[in-house]
Amino acid sequence: MLDDNYSMCSGWNYFFLYDGSKVKEEGDPTSAGICYFYPSQTLPDQQELLCGQIAGVVHCMTEISGVPPSLIRLRKLKFAVVVDGDYLWVLGCAVELPDVSCRRFLEQLITLFTFYNGPVHRAYMAFSQEELSRQWDRYIEHIQKNTSDLHKIFNSLWNLDKTKVDPLLLLKAALILQTCQRSPHVLAGCILYKGLIVSTQLPPPLTAKVLLQGSESPGQSEPGGEEQREPDSPLPQGVRIIPVFLTEDEVSVLRDFPVEWMTRSSVSPASPRGEKNALCSQAVSESTGVHENQDLNNISVQESSEQASSTAAPEDAVQSGRLANTGPLKGFPEMEASTKNSPTAKLLLSRKASFPLERDTKQLPSPSTLRTAECAQTTGPYVEGFSFPNPYAQEQESQSMGKSLVDSDVEQRSFQSYPATSDSPAISSPAQELSRRNSSEQDEQGTMSQNSVSGESSGAAGGNVWGLDCPAPAVQPELQSRSQLPSVEVQESLPSDPAENTHCPRSGESGWPPQVDSLGAQAGVESGKQCKLVKMSLYVHCIKGLVLSLLAEDHLQEDQSSIEDVYHSSLASLNGLEVHLRETLPKDSSSSAKTTYSFTHYDCVQNVLTANLPHTPGPLDRHFLRAATLIHSDFNQLPTASEIIIRNASTAVYACRNPVQETYFQQLGAPLRNSGVPNPHDSAFSLPSKAKQKLLKHGVNLL
Amino acid sequence: MQCVLIASTAAELLFYWADAAFLRRLRPPHAGQVGRDREGRGCVVRGHAWALTRQRVPQGPALEDSLNTLFAPLIISCAALLEKLADTYTCFATERGRHLHVLHMFGDCLYIAVNGDGTESEDDLRRTLFVLRRLVEAHCGLVTLDSHLVRKELRPADSEQRERVWSLLRGLLETYSHLREEDQSFAVEAVERLIHPQLCEQCIEFLERQVVQYINTSPERGGDEVGHAFLLVHTKLLAFYSSRNASSIRPADLLILILLVQDLYPSQSAEEELGPQPTAGKVLPQGPKRSESIPVSGPGSHGGAEKDSDDQDTDDLSVPEVYYTPEPSPGRHSTGSESWSEDAEMLGTGEADAADVQMAEDLLQTLGPLVPEASNPRRIFLDASLREGYCPLLPHTMHCLPLWPGISLVLLTKGPMTQVAVTLYQLLDGFLVLERKLEEGPEAGAPRSYPFLAELRQRMDKFVKKLSGQDIQLQNTWVDFKNKIFSRSEPGNSQELLQAVANVKRQLCSVYRQLFLASASHSLSQGLRDRAQKLMRRKLLDWRDFLLVKSRRNITMVSYLEDFPGLVHFIYADRTAGQMMAPSLSVTEKSSSELGKGPLATFIKRKVWSLIALARRYLQKGYTTLMLQDGDYCCSYFLWFENELGYKLEVMEVPVLSDDSAPIGMLAGDYYRKLLRYYSKNHQAEVVKCYELLTVHLGIIPSELVVQQACDLARRLWEPSRIPLL
Repeated sequence: MLDDNYSMCSGWNYFFLYDGSKVKEEGDPTSAGICYFYPSQTLPDQQELLCGQIAGVVHCMTEISGVPPSLIRLRKLKFAVVVDGDYLWVLGCAVELPDVSCRRFLEQLITLFTFYNGPVHRAYMAFSQEELSRQWDRYIEHIQKNTSDLHKIFNSLWNLDKTKVDPLLLLKAALILQTCQRSPHVLAGCILYKGLIVSTQLPPPLTAKVLLQGSESPGQSEPGGEEQREPDSPLPQGVRIIPVFLTEDEVSVLRDFPVEWMTRSSVSPASPRGEKNALCSQAVSESTGVHENQDLNNISVQESSEQASSTAAPEDAVQSGRLANTGPLKGFPEMEASTKNSPTAKLLLSRKASFPLERDTKQLPSPSTLRTAECAQTTGPYVEGFSFPNPYAQEQESQSMGKSLVDSDVEQRSFQSYPATSDSPAISSPAQELSRRNSSEQDEQGTMSQNSVSGESSGAAGGNVWGLDCPAPAVQPELQSRSQLPSVEVQESLPSDPAENTHCPRSGESGWPPQVDSLGAQAGVESGKQCKLVKMSLYVHCIKGLVLSLLAEDHLQEDQSSIEDVYHSSLASLNGLEVHLRETLPKDSSSSAKTTYSFTHYDCVQNVLTANLPHTPGPLDRHFLRAATLIHSDFNQLPTASEIIIRNASTAVYACRNPVQETYFQQLGAPLRNSGVPNPHDSAFSLPSKAKQKLLKHGVNLL
Repeated sequence: MQCVLIASTAAELLFYWADAAFLRRLRPPHAGQVGRDREGRGCVVRGHAWALTRQRVPQGPALEDSLNTLFAPLIISCAALLEKLADTYTCFATERGRHLHVLHMFGDCLYIAVNGDGTESEDDLRRTLFVLRRLVEAHCGLVTLDSHLVRKELRPADSEQRERVWSLLRGLLETYSHLREEDQSFAVEAVERLIHPQLCEQCIEFLERQVVQYINTSPERGGDEVGHAFLLVHTKLLAFYSSRNASSIRPADLLILILLVQDLYPSQSAEEELGPQPTAGKVLPQGPKRSESIPVSGPGSHGGAEKDSDDQDTDDLSVPEVYYTPEPSPGRHSTGSESWSEDAEMLGTGEADAADVQMAEDLLQTLGPLVPEASNPRRIFLDASLREGYCPLLPHTMHCLPLWPGISLVLLTKGPMTQVAVTLYQLLDGFLVLERKLEEGPEAGAPRSYPFLAELRQRMDKFVKKLSGQDIQLQNTWVDFKNKIFSRSEPGNSQELLQAVANVKRQLCSVYRQLFLASASHSLSQGLRDRAQKLMRRKLLDWRDFLLVKSRRNITMVSYLEDFPGLVHFIYADRTAGQMMAPSLSVTEKSSSELGKGPLATFIKRKVWSLIALARRYLQKGYTTLMLQDGDYCCSYFLWFENELGYKLEVMEVPVLSDDSAPIGMLAGDYYRKLLRYYSKNHQAEVVKCYELLTVHLGIIPSELVVQQACDLARRLWEPSRIPLL
């Protein structure tokens, strides 16, 4: 649907990174703090004005409300703001761009940067400002280039239009990825063709970052820092190995469950496209199996997890499997601090998971509450489900989604008690101090009580988990986890405390309070501000428009034989795939036949968008986009809303959603004259039935 | 955690209101003991919260200082951006919108609203700011045109006076946000009428013959003339009479007046109203405002539902008995509601124990004379089109005569100086136009050649002459201006001219201020008001209980259920007349609504309120029809235009407004009036009327049926209700 030539005004006005630590004294010039400013041709005065004012006002707002603002709106501009210690990222957009999108673009930029360069403070110590500015330029160009009107509304990836490709090709791509996975160190990957996703094993947020590799044609690969760092390594032709930085969660997901991400689409009700995918992924799991492609270390752990699960209920099995898989983490030298940290990282996630529950209790009991929980889950920026995928949950399809989320919630809670219990008293004292501060700050009683309830229920399950990881006898942990419940609660309430966020998250490289802070500050899971990032290797192999990207352990780059192994096992099939794709894909995707309607179907779990909008939107398409923008944000805010029809003088738009997808539909053609008075013969109210009927052939089933 | 403040661009604090949670933030951290009961207590009504605040938080200058320190960087940054980018902040939001700051510049004043507990949306906050602005206008009139003078009005140098002005605005803000949450007519911003055609007709006749004509022919009226008289039962309008030569009152202004009356004599629970009245008909509920609502048991025993009385815990302290029987002395009458400043006077009276209360009573008595300018009758500035011309803020005097708790007679009078106000406005308007022309720069031509200038000069000369040297300063600035703009030799540069225009404007505003704000307000003599009150009370005596009940059950859903199965609630608004009809939804009452008072009623109410907000958001973006399947309910919203005969006019493209535009509604910016004017451009020949219908149905009702019912409902509600028109 989108090609590389597609470009339009993205609505970005400014982007800058400002380091407040450089402007502390009265005499310090504002310009000293400006690390990067886009567009670079902005007059220095203007740059300083914006940086100075925004930084100042963010500070002022933090004083007033205890939390830095994440969005600042002016009459003609809006700024998304992310504060990370002394660093301040600001993206200025046109005021027409929806708030969520403005925030999301900024987050994407930051995560791209941290993915390729590591934490910002480290990057700016290690590399020159000019070099990093080139990187920022590249990321900005990448995101802007790929931002269509619909991408301004929906957080979607750029997928190949699967209705235009032979499903066998997709299957082939999936198989290539699986073959690669068998090579040592390789965890998972994705295949892109001309910047579009052909197949991916990565969760959507990771895929989005890897997509950067596909957006550059092979010849133009820039003299970015990463290549200069290893000029002498004799890599096969067309192959690059780039160091990348993943968050703990991303890593654990990859290491634990190298599953096909497309499997999810089989959940979406009866969409033909989904069925195709399901077919692919089924083939995938049958041919390789999950455990085979793990190294020995991992397999042994898997076994122990299976032992555990044989004695426990399925839920417990999930947990033990989960924990068992964190085992290998310790095996790697660069992970010293990670086990300590990883539960903390979960803290945030589990809080997010508990959020919809909290909202539920405020709602009145109605049959739709369960749906509420589901919706709230799936419409978040990134679905928790991705952070905690577990193969068991997929087997338990009879269980409702809400239930499984609760389970994962419970599962996480058992982790949280870990640092509090097993660590030295040095830790408990800051925690106490925090709890004191916390009680004098806003009390999130709802959260607390919610958490304590689920914490209780997780008691037994937690014990099970403990037994696996702790050297202590299996009985004792159970006691531990119970007795520590109060402190668990205290910690859980921390991230929600706005006052805690003001510190620099990475000011101390380790130690408790800074970590907690960073987690609190980080409301979006993917904002890339995790203190602990894990260095890994990204293997990139370009063959004309086709790009194979594989995420592998950092060892890969030292292991020449493995690289060769990956290269040779995939080369032939990649070549073949490239030829096939080149031949099958229509040159001009805008050739789609004239239709009498417009639609957009958004899969918010996989971040996949299907639409039939023309490249250059006409007036009616503009109406459609505007309506979709409004409704999309209302769907976010109204968890119980399932269908909306809105109408103005020019057009009527119908939208409906369920927990995993949103669909927008508009009938084209001149609107019938009407007065706006309620009228049963009004064509606007027949939109739902039309949408149901027309969208079937696009694989969207609204029945 | 909430706060509303007005600041000048020089970061001077002109007004603030803040709840206890917010003020606690301002305190030095070591005093952290009371910090525990922070905003979690959602049920604490603001009036009460305010009272707590007053006891525990540093007062006066210290508090203002810390507020100033807190907000100054923001205010200065606002001004800096405005200067350098010609743009400025409108909103700050944190993740998930828990903390919201909304800013709006009105002239040179920056209005800021802060919410830190997620209870208000951005639209709510912006609406609050616009309503606050409207209230400032209603109390300061055209003085709001001059930033310097309005600063003096909002922040008088004298601290007692300042406290009085601030508590007046604070009280109004609190009453407003309470009504917006509880009363449908304030939620949709339209006047609700009490549906009883016969009584309405009788009352109008009575108001005309016995009240207005009587007063206007009496020599005691002292130059004032009653233009309008109306009867309110709670927030609902029973009857409205305008004398023949009076200009019409805009519904937006009528709603403001209802707000003022509600603030003076707030509604209370039905039970208390209908309780035994000691010698009913004789004892006038003229005690300090809201005193009637106080149960004997004291503030501690309020039910959660009794928002109103909770709201007024501060006042409770001053008046121990339920059945307050004031002396009908003139002094008491003329200061019918000292409670405006009671907040200020009641400093230090903590929990309501008897001794405190006694002390409070004494205190009140001694402080009584400190309130020279009673807020009832009160000077109020309203929009008026007279034969002499139009004035958006014409001085009126509002006399609110309470008949019984919940029922009031309101008289609006105009003084003899009305004509001067109109002239002043015309002159100011002329100079505003001139100012705009000058700001456009030289392209607009030589200032001297502006066509309207000659007329402006003539009028101004005449006006200055009429004042005949009473105002030397005005005369001087006018001469100065004339020298600059009309001098043949060297017409001054535009910067100088602008300065001269500004000076003249300021002097005109100053004259306006002298005439209408500084001088003691004219008012009808006490005798006249007493008589009107007595007559009206006698007239309505037999109706009293009926009216009080009727006002709670104006329209019942039951009467619609048979014809509209599945219908849960509806609101029908005639936006041309600024009136609305809806089944009663007052769940705060002890005597509950039709839905009872349990969670269901609260739930439906919340659903209705959120539908109102949603419909507004879409209307702001140009959508006039909305249908929403929301959980177990199906909500719909329609806006359409008709001509006078009920013929449906074709829908038009409604303007798409920016997020920071004036909120959709009537109280703030009067969106519907603008919309009608916009629509009428293409329908010059006919009278255009605008209607809205919101419905909430059960979700199981098929959408076709929902639309069909909405259609039938609109037709049924359109049928003349036989209530005499306003």
